[in-house]
Amino acid sequence: MFEPPVQRLIDELSRLPGVGQKSAQRLAFHLLNVEEADARRLADSITEMRSTVRLCNRCFNATADAECTICVDTRRDTSSICVVERAQDIPVIERTQLFKGRYHVLGGAMSPIAGIGPEQLRMSELEARVGAEGVTEVIAATNPTVEGDTTAMYIAQLLKPLGVKVTKLASGLPVGGDLDYADEVTLGRALAGRQEL
Amino acid sequence: MHLTWLELVNFRPYEALRFEPTEGVNILVGENGAGKTSVLEAIGYLGMMRSFRGVPDRALIREGSASAVIRGGIAGGASETTVEVELPSDGRRTVLVNGKRPRRVHDTFLSVPVVVFLPDDLDVIKRGPRVRREYLDDLAATLWPQAGQDLTEYDRALRQRNALLRQGGRETDTGTLDVWDGRVAVAGAKVLLHRRTLAVALQTHLHHAYKEVGGSGSVHWMYRSTWDSHSAGDIEALRVALAEALVESRPRDMDVRTTTVGPHRDEPDLLLDGRPTRTEASQGEQRTVALALRIGAYRLIEDVRDQKPILLLDDVFSELDKERARRVVPLIENGQVFVTTARDDELPIRGRRWSVSEGSVS
Repeated sequence: MFEPPVQRLIDELSRLPGVGQKSAQRLAFHLLNVEEADARRLADSITEMRSTVRLCNRCFNATADAECTICVDTRRDTSSICVVERAQDIPVIERTQLFKGRYHVLGGAMSPIAGIGPEQLRMSELEARVGAEGVTEVIAATNPTVEGDTTAMYIAQLLKPLGVKVTKLASGLPVGGDLDYADEVTLGRALAGRQEL
Repeated sequence: MHLTWLELVNFRPYEALRFEPTEGVNILVGENGAGKTSVLEAIGYLGMMRSFRGVPDRALIREGSASAVIRGGIAGGASETTVEVELPSDGRRTVLVNGKRPRRVHDTFLSVPVVVFLPDDLDVIKRGPRVRREYLDDLAATLWPQAGQDLTEYDRALRQRNALLRQGGRETDTGTLDVWDGRVAVAGAKVLLHRRTLAVALQTHLHHAYKEVGGSGSVHWMYRSTWDSHSAGDIEALRVALAEALVESRPRDMDVRTTTVGPHRDEPDLLLDGRPTRTEASQGEQRTVALALRIGAYRLIEDVRDQKPILLLDDVFSELDKERARRVVPLIENGQVFVTTARDDELPIRGRRWSVSEGSVS
């Protein structure tokens, strides 16, 4: 046991994802040793984020305003929506600079084991947007897991009756890598999804 | 392939063990409970990523320890692979291959192919269909990493569908069930195809092995399916057939709140001259078929991987009569073999003898 204030911080830090007891201790003592201003800046940024950032009314991305910067951007194509499991997936797709439409954050993937069905996700909100925003294509960018794939299938089943095109991301080889470094499963998927030249 | 060294830390009775076996036959001699089988179990773990005794990981940790570690060096061709597993008493296990996390645990199956012979191998013949499904699935996973991955996916999708049925019963939302049916069908079709491919690939080896250990007649797999998989030729037809079967069984599945059709309920059986070995073969015939299954697996792995797997024989010779033992030995003694025996008297196989007692091997 450490001094109660130190222990309290260690307990809080170790509740963060990916942080174990040992890392929490290291972080806590690091924060004890740096300039007080540096430690305060971290504390302030956490407080500020929590008090100012909320969920976008339209797509449920993180935002400081009623709608996120992507949703209010008039240059974005409103006819296509890219559906992601979590808000942190958005910057990843944005970095490709290839998708010009808007997003929709589901808040997870379907998993009956975890008690997550369509009602626990923002499916009805997605359905409403497709009807209201004149959407013609929905891209299901869920994770390539059993749960993510199933969620993509559910989206397709939900939206097909609305006459909208539903697509999902292709999976295959990483670009710029050697073929012999690819694992069998990825290579297998790439082979199954091969394209004619 | 052979194991060049094995290190155990707080694994079963071993506080710290370093064991450098020979490339050939290694005979572990010791009293009951001395820890002979534990050495085989550790080697088997490196190959299958679970205990062949069917116990949970925490049963492998030495009493009073926080975690167990198994490390081994496997030589195959020109290179040596190091596989390391840490099993903590709580939390997830860590697997490292050459110091790095493998992308998937199934990849380690390729590094350390093992075949295990156990005294209760007769179970594969005598017990219910589950052990025969496991035999086919385990062997497929050892041969093809994709098969291991597909099995994991099927298991995952099935558990999700079952969770949905358990929660919803007759009120289960059909729209949600539709998509889980779809996912189960995609993965289930692959599992069935792996089993089918495996049974075909195994057939010749099984047939030869059965003759070599002194059997007469011919052995075949017969695959009884809980759904119409026989008329389906390719993966797409299998998927459609399973999807239809799932829809058909839906009312019953909702009633019993679990999935009643699919590869997890199928019944692979072994026929001897067209008769089911489980019910109609003699004890002697059953024992011969069980041996042929292990030797057939050994040969198939050798054939596909172009390298001999590591063979683990746990107290097998005490169960074999002299005649069968005499026939089995020449079939296996050319690779690396680990044999356990309680008595230091005549074994039908020669090799380097190791004395096992009080947590040491010397």
